[in-house]
Amino acid sequence: METIGAFAIWSGVTIQFWPVWLGLAIIMGLSYAFKHRLGLYGHLYDSGVGIAGLALVLFWILTAMFADTIAPFDPIEQFGLLKRKPPGVIESGSGIPFFFGGDNLGRDLFSRMVYGSRFVLTIAPAATLVAFMVGITLGLPAGYFGGRIDTVLTFLANLVLAFPVILLFYLLVTPGVRETPIPTTMAAVFFMFPIIMFATLFKTGYGSRPVLFWTLMGFTAVIGGWLYLGLVFNRDPLGIVGLDPNELNIFAAVVFASSPAVFRIVRGLTMDIKTRDYVAAAQTRGEGPWYIMLWEVLPNARGPLIVDGCLRIGYTTILLGTLGFFGLGLSPESPDWGSMINQTRGFIRLVPTIVLPQTIALASLVLGLNLLADGLREQSLKD
Amino acid sequence: MSEPILEIENLSISFFTRAGEIPAVMDFSCTVMPGEAMGLVGESGCGKSTVALGIMRDLGNNGRIVSGSIRFKGRDLVDMSDAELRHIRGSEVSMVYQEPMASLNPAMRVNRQLMEVPMIHDGVSKGEAEARALELLAAVKLPDPERIAAAYPHQLSGGQQQRIIIAMALLSKPALLLLDEPTTALDVTVEAGIVQLVRELGEKFGTSMLFISHNLGLILETCNRITVMYSGEAVEAGTVKEVFDRMRHPYTQGLFRSIPRPGADKNVHPLMTIRGQLPLPHERPRGCNFGPRCDHFQAAICDLGDLYMQPVAGETGHDTRCARSSEIDWTAPPSGLAVHEPVKPGEVVLSVDDLKKYYTVASNSVFGGGEKRTVKANESITLEAREAETLAIVGESGCGKSTLAKILLGLETATDGDVKLGTTEIGSVEIQDRDTRTVSSVQMVFQNPFDTLNPSHSVGAQIIRVLEQFEIGDSLEARRKIMLELLDLVKLPREFETRKPRQLSGGQKQRIGIARAFAGRPRVVVADEPVSALDVSVQAAVTELLMDIQRSSRTTMLFISHDLSVVRYLSDRVLVMYLGHVVEYGTTDQVFAPPYHPYTEALLAAIPIADTKARKKHIVLEGDIPSAMNPPSGCPFQTRCPRKHEVPGDQCEREVPAMRELANGHQIKCHLSDAVLDSMESVISLSEPTGESATEQPTPS
Repeated sequence: METIGAFAIWSGVTIQFWPVWLGLAIIMGLSYAFKHRLGLYGHLYDSGVGIAGLALVLFWILTAMFADTIAPFDPIEQFGLLKRKPPGVIESGSGIPFFFGGDNLGRDLFSRMVYGSRFVLTIAPAATLVAFMVGITLGLPAGYFGGRIDTVLTFLANLVLAFPVILLFYLLVTPGVRETPIPTTMAAVFFMFPIIMFATLFKTGYGSRPVLFWTLMGFTAVIGGWLYLGLVFNRDPLGIVGLDPNELNIFAAVVFASSPAVFRIVRGLTMDIKTRDYVAAAQTRGEGPWYIMLWEVLPNARGPLIVDGCLRIGYTTILLGTLGFFGLGLSPESPDWGSMINQTRGFIRLVPTIVLPQTIALASLVLGLNLLADGLREQSLKD
Repeated sequence: MSEPILEIENLSISFFTRAGEIPAVMDFSCTVMPGEAMGLVGESGCGKSTVALGIMRDLGNNGRIVSGSIRFKGRDLVDMSDAELRHIRGSEVSMVYQEPMASLNPAMRVNRQLMEVPMIHDGVSKGEAEARALELLAAVKLPDPERIAAAYPHQLSGGQQQRIIIAMALLSKPALLLLDEPTTALDVTVEAGIVQLVRELGEKFGTSMLFISHNLGLILETCNRITVMYSGEAVEAGTVKEVFDRMRHPYTQGLFRSIPRPGADKNVHPLMTIRGQLPLPHERPRGCNFGPRCDHFQAAICDLGDLYMQPVAGETGHDTRCARSSEIDWTAPPSGLAVHEPVKPGEVVLSVDDLKKYYTVASNSVFGGGEKRTVKANESITLEAREAETLAIVGESGCGKSTLAKILLGLETATDGDVKLGTTEIGSVEIQDRDTRTVSSVQMVFQNPFDTLNPSHSVGAQIIRVLEQFEIGDSLEARRKIMLELLDLVKLPREFETRKPRQLSGGQKQRIGIARAFAGRPRVVVADEPVSALDVSVQAAVTELLMDIQRSSRTTMLFISHDLSVVRYLSDRVLVMYLGHVVEYGTTDQVFAPPYHPYTEALLAAIPIADTKARKKHIVLEGDIPSAMNPPSGCPFQTRCPRKHEVPGDQCEREVPAMRELANGHQIKCHLSDAVLDSMESVISLSEPTGESATEQPTPS
């Protein structure tokens, strides 16, 4: 087998990533030039930590977007002769090298790493977003009303938080459970929350302006309904949006596990903010509790929530990696980083580099998200 | 002539932020002699706290002393290293801050915190340190020093905490004591006690003091000399008598004219406000910083170049930065004063009859068990308010005035008694159950301007939301028009419609709060200490605005305050509350003249008055306000009443006094006999004027 040297590998990889470098240069260059006008995002460019975090996260986002151009091979195509081969080996058919070597089934690790980013970057932010909606919709009343509502909801949240996460996933994501309607029911319930939240938001805020209100409600019903049908029941009439059962399962499980933490944060922030005078002012003009929660309290909680959101996408990424590692993820073929680590870990003694690409990819993305969260927190406190 | 303890010369301090260098203090000079108390007066943003922090060299990450020198006992503090400064801080220069709770470590007992000082600075043993701590706790007049020494800070009241801070500051007998608004967070009667303490200790220990405050009356009572600061510079300096009686800077004169003083009446002598705004630090005008707001501004003289402190003609030790100080006629009355017709009150709008509000609190809060205790927040309150009238509710913390406000607004319901708005009963009706017209008829102006507006929405949107809720206006455009008219009403530019609250100053935010309260054309507006968090000159402007709007819309105003000078100035009737009870009720003239309830008498004696001619009787109440969970038996005031011995037997401790009517509508709740009441003298009296003085009452033009 012909191989290429280390220098050739790295230069080859760098060249493969050209759309990403171009994209990074354009986005970050423009942002840096106009940073004064871009609010908190612009302020990130004032700290080294913020720039580093942004760069890492943008790198992977662009990789996911341009995966088709970057990856030289199909991620699930197997080349029998290249099983467990070290980095740099050239695939004889096309003459293109396996930059990071082949995995245990002869698939190009580099291409799988690149495509793997898609899975993480579609599921993790979306799951975090839905978890936030659930957490906010439950956390606001718990903090605002207190009393029995608070006790019940906090108890439920503690119950979920106390349960060992891995065991929880084993229960939710095993094939046996997948056959039952549990995952679909859970997903159906969770996906209702964003719709309920937006509906309440529009009703309380624009209730007295019928034209605007019904237009917005119309939009919510149509788009919300379309996404709901497509994602939960895989019955999108237009065929664009869809999740296969595996993905839906994981999605529901991740949302279930992340919501209690968000619930806690929102509840704490609400309990603090509701003591402010502007909330009392809203009460004295007869505003209903949901208006106050969504329009007076929530906008002022956005600082800590944004920072937590970044961190939580990172935790979710690791969680997806863990799921893949335990074989609870998608089909064994799919190139998600967690499953890749699981499948290749047995061969570390033979080919030490076989585990590295996906591990470093996962670590760098999470590092980027953590640094971004740090940068946001730092900049939002500075004057 | 001895050496000055502190000599600040041409000090300049700047803060370096993302937006560039912001000069906070410019060319500031000040001298403090041993044993002297120097007052530093100015409003927020003038740089006085920065000066104090600069002396302690505690300017944070962003601040730096850019030029000048601070010489303490001859040594320049600016050049010293951290180790040398550590030696001086706490032992030779001490500081007392504004918030007592924030200055004490909540996790350490008081005696441990006090003992740290001599142990670190003087190297004494634990036993000796403890003895000194107890000695000083007694010196600051804390009752039962052993019990307090063993307590944690959160177990003590604000007044007690501040006394402990003062004790800590004096433990190693410093040569210089810096006090940064030490009484702003405290109640008025407690403040009077602290002020007296500071004065006595200053004389006893011979400590020099730098007393920073925005309260001119307080400075008059505690200091020998005064420096007035404006926008980072000292504008006038001299002895207290010189500056108060013969002020020589237009800003000082403006400050004095914006404070209501005894004898001022809102209709005949309205408060004068200083027009314009404090300049932003990077937008200071050339020449005199006060120029754009000054009535005596003259183009060629006042904006030529940097102005320096000059001695006042004919006086030594009295300096001013005004370039025209010798030309201006300081005795001329202010021009452009509008005299108003007093408003005739209409029929009764709000009547409260025997209102009681009790809260039940479980004594064991974790599990909700244990016996229930009752907090009697409001006890038998009866009052009447008529259309276009201002009823002031006076009292300190814990008196129940906020609870009364909450019941009126529907945030709480009364336990017993009636509250009627016109003919509608509202005392037992919560806000959710009230109809829109009732809700819009009773509105509130909140105390803290920084919290009263939602920081996430624009100002215009918030007012429009109020109009939507009260169903005023048919469409968005109509409401927007009304909102713009409201902005005009509170004298704010229409561009503020799109601004967020953080872009507004405290006074501007409070004006929006007022616009919001009056948006629904209410019949009753409850103003809960609307101006106490604002600067002196801004207070005058906002108070005048409230009065103007009330005059034109004939709204009833319930003005809750602890500041008796403002109350005297603008209210028609006064209700004095103590620990949930009404102790005195009557027209302003009746309440402010003898006979008084002993509590009213003490309150009047406690208010610092910025007038050298005013003479006050000396009444300082002992102890702190009792807790509402554990009220004293009998009369609520008996634990602190200075006239208790004038009632025979122990009637004060056994019986709650009944409300008695003294004169036409003047009621008090006291056991004192008529003879004693008739013999009471007026608390505040004005002595003969001493020569030309700027405290002369202005004549209307």
